[in-house]
Amino acid sequence: MAALLWRPAGRYGLRGRLGPQLCIRHAVPLGTSAKEDKERCRNKNAGLNRPISPYITIHSWSLPMAMSISHRATGIALSAGVSLFGLSALLLPGTFESYLEPVKALCLGPVLIHSAKFALAFPLMFHTWNGIQHLMWDLGRGLTTQQVTRSAVAVLVLSVLSSAGLAAL
Amino acid sequence: MACVWRLSALCGARGGRALFLRTPVVRPAQLSAFLQDQPAPGWCGIQHIHLSPSHHSGSKAASLHWTGERVVSVLLLGLLPAAYLNPSSAVDYSLAAVLSLHSHWGLGQVVTDYVHNDTMQKTAKAGLLALSALTFAGLCYFNYHDVGICKAVAMLWKL
Repeated sequence: MAALLWRPAGRYGLRGRLGPQLCIRHAVPLGTSAKEDKERCRNKNAGLNRPISPYITIHSWSLPMAMSISHRATGIALSAGVSLFGLSALLLPGTFESYLEPVKALCLGPVLIHSAKFALAFPLMFHTWNGIQHLMWDLGRGLTTQQVTRSAVAVLVLSVLSSAGLAAL
Repeated sequence: MACVWRLSALCGARGGRALFLRTPVVRPAQLSAFLQDQPAPGWCGIQHIHLSPSHHSGSKAASLHWTGERVVSVLLLGLLPAAYLNPSSAVDYSLAAVLSLHSHWGLGQVVTDYVHNDTMQKTAKAGLLALSALTFAGLCYFNYHDVGICKAVAMLWKL
């Protein structure tokens, strides 16, 4: 929304020759909502076929950035798992036990089972601890850069420890 | 929701002929804007504009949605230890409901972020609603006809 305040400045203000009156007149329509502004911008750009500036691949990675996208990725993965589980309950025949039997019959080694449990628990634990960090931010706490870095490290450490703990159960 | 915007005032080339943007009240039906610091003529610096929506039902709904998301998250957080320490049918059904709602709203945010085309967004949201409804139905069915979520996780873990 800052763009709609800057646009008149860019077009008229920077030249420094026009009087304040003209600026004010052209600066008046500032009250468009964010949604209208976004739509207008997108519609204008859609027709122009402009190449998109590289922004995902060239950004240097930071810890908060990685944590944020991991939170989203684990969330999507967990939702997919839950939906898969729910849909299978509706669509597949037999009971849950009947699906566990063949897996039990495989007699997989304890290391493999342990690793599988860790792999299942880790996304859940990471998403949970990172979620707590988000809720803390929503309360307005821990927002300085140093606190964010510290809490991110705490989330990672807690995730690994709790996943290991759960896998050992 | 209140937003604070910064405006740079621009200075003229010489003789202190300053150009600065003033914002009178705009669109009273939706937004009300007021200047916090009235600049003196020829002043060059930063102006702060405070825009706060008023009488805008859309933002009230959005605000409630936001609060609802946090409430559901906290509920889910509480249900996890409850499922471990006190597994029961009540916890099973609560988990089914809260899990479905939390993932529905979460995926809804993902759709809002990445799907920009208006029709595509409507379709994606409709598909998401169907998926969430089916997931919830499936989880409830599992709770009713099969061992239930808590017991299922316990059985899986005992492998």
